[in-house]
Amino acid sequence: MSPTLSELEAKAAEKKAAFGGDAHIVCDNLVRIYKTEGVEVVALQGLDLLIQEGELVAVVGASGSGKSTLLNVLSGLDVPTAGVARVAGMDLLSMTAKDRLRYRRDIVGFVWQQTARNLLPYLTARENVELPMKLAGRSGMSKARRERAAELLDLLGVASCADRKVPEMSGGEQQRVAIAVALANSPQLVLADEPTGELDSETSEEVFGALRKANGELGVTVVIVTHDPLVSERVDRTIGIRDGRTSSETLRREGVAEEYAVLDRVGRLQLPHDFMNALDMERRVRLELESDHIGVWPAREEPSNEQ
Amino acid sequence: MRILRLAQVRLGAMAMLSLLTLSACLLVAGLPRVLQGSYDEALHRALQDAPAQLADLTVQTRSRGGPDDLHEPGQFASRDARLRSLVPPRLRPLVSAPGQMSAKTYDTPVHLSGGQTYINLAWLSDGERRVEWVDGRAPGKPTTTRWSGSEIPLFEVGIVEEARTTMPLKIGDVRILGESDYAAVKIVGVFRAKDPGARYWSHDIDVLHVTQVQPPGKLELERRTTALISSAGLAALSGADRNLIYSWVLPVAPTAAASLDVPELRAAVEDYGHVVTLQPAGADSQYRLETELPGLLDTFGTALGTAQTVMFLVLGGLLVVALGVLVLAVQLLAERIDHPLALARARGGSLRQVAGTGAALVALAVVPAALAGWGLAFLVPGPVPWIAHAGPALVPLTAVGYAAARLAMTHRTPLHERRDDVAAARPSARRITLELLVVGLALAGAYLLRARGLTTGGQDPFLLFVPVALTVAAALITIRCYPLPLKLLVRLAARGRLAVPFLGLTRAARARSASVLPVLILLPALAVSVFGTVISGGLSTTQRLASWQSVGAPIKLTSPVELPPDAIERVRKVPGVRLLVPAQTATAQIGYGGERADIIAVDLAQWRRLLDGAPISVPLTASGASGIPVLVSHELRGRGTFEIAWYERMKVTTAGEIASLPGFYPRGKFIVLPFATNKRPGVNTLLIKGEADHAALLAATGQPKAELTSQEQALAAIEDDPMTGTVQNILLITAVALAVYALIAVLVTLVIGAADRARALSFLRTLGLSDRQARGLTVLEILPLILITSLAGLALGLGLPAALGPGIDLSAYAGDLAVGDYSADPVMPVVLAAGLATVAVLGTYAHTAISRRRSLGAVLRVGDLA
Repeated sequence: MSPTLSELEAKAAEKKAAFGGDAHIVCDNLVRIYKTEGVEVVALQGLDLLIQEGELVAVVGASGSGKSTLLNVLSGLDVPTAGVARVAGMDLLSMTAKDRLRYRRDIVGFVWQQTARNLLPYLTARENVELPMKLAGRSGMSKARRERAAELLDLLGVASCADRKVPEMSGGEQQRVAIAVALANSPQLVLADEPTGELDSETSEEVFGALRKANGELGVTVVIVTHDPLVSERVDRTIGIRDGRTSSETLRREGVAEEYAVLDRVGRLQLPHDFMNALDMERRVRLELESDHIGVWPAREEPSNEQ
Repeated sequence: MRILRLAQVRLGAMAMLSLLTLSACLLVAGLPRVLQGSYDEALHRALQDAPAQLADLTVQTRSRGGPDDLHEPGQFASRDARLRSLVPPRLRPLVSAPGQMSAKTYDTPVHLSGGQTYINLAWLSDGERRVEWVDGRAPGKPTTTRWSGSEIPLFEVGIVEEARTTMPLKIGDVRILGESDYAAVKIVGVFRAKDPGARYWSHDIDVLHVTQVQPPGKLELERRTTALISSAGLAALSGADRNLIYSWVLPVAPTAAASLDVPELRAAVEDYGHVVTLQPAGADSQYRLETELPGLLDTFGTALGTAQTVMFLVLGGLLVVALGVLVLAVQLLAERIDHPLALARARGGSLRQVAGTGAALVALAVVPAALAGWGLAFLVPGPVPWIAHAGPALVPLTAVGYAAARLAMTHRTPLHERRDDVAAARPSARRITLELLVVGLALAGAYLLRARGLTTGGQDPFLLFVPVALTVAAALITIRCYPLPLKLLVRLAARGRLAVPFLGLTRAARARSASVLPVLILLPALAVSVFGTVISGGLSTTQRLASWQSVGAPIKLTSPVELPPDAIERVRKVPGVRLLVPAQTATAQIGYGGERADIIAVDLAQWRRLLDGAPISVPLTASGASGIPVLVSHELRGRGTFEIAWYERMKVTTAGEIASLPGFYPRGKFIVLPFATNKRPGVNTLLIKGEADHAALLAATGQPKAELTSQEQALAAIEDDPMTGTVQNILLITAVALAVYALIAVLVTLVIGAADRARALSFLRTLGLSDRQARGLTVLEILPLILITSLAGLALGLGLPAALGPGIDLSAYAGDLAVGDYSADPVMPVVLAAGLATVAVLGTYAHTAISRRRSLGAVLRVGDLA
């Protein structure tokens, strides 16, 4: 029986829960296209992502899959071309320049891969940590700034480096100071772009430990882009990105990892390459709905129709 | 951001910025002072060299007797005070010195002399100070005497020594003056000037010398002298009886005038003239101002205007280039602090914080340096024109402003990932239209300037606009077109087997837009310095030409009386004399009327030999004509064969026509005869070539009144002008400064592109590029820009004088000879351009050699960060 007009009206007026609901990070069909001198590169091709507050998430993917672009968008350094990107309730697409500045000052902190890029080499670790606070015009009292910096350095285990300049610190120390810098303004979200990329495994361990500590003790949401299995295998959730889309998620519960394919809002699904290759799946597949799952079969050979 | 710490880290770039600012401020604050000082000196010289009679302000009034008469010095003094009180304030410093007052009669004939003898009477307020009595005594009080049955005043007078012999007069003589109202003068003394060369005598030259003129149609000379009377004599002097003029001289102090005030001074003099006319001088008479000061100031103003125009162009070019280099250095610093600022921007720094930090850093480098440069300029002597303050203010403002604007542009968005490797997109149609418009305007402007010439006097804004527009146009064309020949070369190189030329030229052809700035600096730098060299070369050539034209020979010896053959032989034998050409000069009657012409009899062929290697020459007389072949001036042309009287009557035939005869007659009526016209030559002029001692030459003539002038002396006299010297010096200083700036621009460009180039080279070296090839690659990458810009700058600099030719009249600095030959020595400009290109290439080599020392890995890694 078809619905009456008033029923349809009521249905239209009914407020639908937005995608992602109250998730901390919401990306819906996010697109980012670079245009340089006439050359177009689609870095994000409709990416969906939901991350809850206080999560520690790793993002993995091949080189050029759009990981860093995603991070730049989330950190407010880059503006997406289309779609939805919301962090802590702030819409990253419709932000004014002023909002964006406030966002970078208050909401987000980030750590780059290259240790040298994160810190100003001519300042000490403490001064580096104080810098974002100063830039934000925060806590007029220099004493408060100093205390906050000391607290952060202490928390991340680099209190001893407070008065050392960048060249006087090891790579791991530099990266941990960089995390302290990222945390300086008490952000709700810390983004790290391959923070252990340049480090050996032992140091990587320390840096990852620092991020985990920030997540655990300060309740900060942490998103780590990484290639490092040491990192990706030790977080609760690992998100795989392929060709500018989220393709898989690995969840770890009590030491058991389960890999899932990501199903987007309109029902699209990326099949892993090796699965497709193994069954020689190409162009089209046959789906069959069973009672508790959906079966995917290679297409039957239909030579007459193919002509 | 810890600006001081950041400054400490970037000390090199900061120091360079400081040095550049210091030098730019010193130059733009110092050079105008030097110039203004020389302008002032030239003005002082102009006023000093002009006779006081012309330069000073003389207020005169004619007494018509009765109440107009002034009978005692006190009356003069009170009127002097009154006249001085009327002097406009602007003029007052010039006429602060105490002046002279005088009462003089004019056209006072001696009774029954038939209008042939005049004895004028003069009272000079400072007569006692100026003359000394060589005979007799100073005149005393006037008395009276009876003459022709009536009582007439008798003045005691003193006469000048010269009047004793010429008039002739002697002590004790009594003369009756006047033809209707009589007065008697008794000569009681003979005086001479204590200092006949003093300036004040210029006003009373009639007192010092007897004037002798031959009135038309009369045989006898008319003689006039002015005799001095005492102050007491004033009481008996009345305008009712004589032509009587009272004068108050307000002497102008040449050194008190400033060239900056010339227009105001001129106006003030005119004002004073009007004010004085409106003053009541007596019942029936008026004051009037007699001075040539406005004319002198105008003449000076014309010369000044030209110098100012040339200097404005040159100094303006210098300022522009200095600012350009400064901007380039700011760019270097901006690139150096890009990382901290980008990081700060990403970590929540607002645009104002980031751009402010960069601007503050630049200000830290430039403001103290600018103050220091401005302060140091106070050590340079000379008055301070406004530009000496405005220039140094402009320099740091530009640097800080550019830094702020550039950083604000760069860090507008926090993530500025540039794609330098992508070749520039096609320029928009709007931009091309704009560029075409600029080029068109520049060419049209140059054409109009040539067609129209200059507005007379003062600055011509058009003249200043055209070179700027031409430079911009040349830069635009260079920037737009220089990749074109390169691309052609790249195509050729691509076919070759060698990789280095191909890679190097490709990199050069794909250079990013940052190379626009070096072009904008190099081009005007070269253009202005070449322009300066050409102007300066043209000036010295013309000065030399003028000196030759004024003397006509290396050495010219003239004697008022004939030089006998033995004297000529003696001169010929003076050591150092290589060639001697005798000549006879005189005036001759043309035909039978009163027309006269200057004549010179000289062997023109010999004279030509004498002038071998000189910039002037004399024409040869075409031989073969009947009669005596002569050259005549334009004013005597078209007469064919005519008769002249010189010792004897002779018929001469026009064999040629000349405008002027160097060393003798610049214009007028003159005739050049063959030397042997006269059977017995009366030589009074010797033209000499050689390095003989001047005193020895004069001594050899045995004629004490002989005079010697040499081309070298004449040249020295022309060059001695303070403005000429300064113009030449400034041109030199500017050329050197510009060359240095151009070099710095090349080096800074190299340093700015160093990281990028090092990375590219390192990648290539991992592929097997050798050090030598790397150097070659760098040179090939930089060389085309330098070469093409140098050529464009050279062409522009050589072309500018031609384009502006009619606009720049440097004749005031070249002995009043028009400076037209700017095609002068192209060697100097070419050497300049070539030298610069060489040094730039050497710099490139050195730079590559230094960067070679860094390890490949480090460079590649550093490259990753950029």
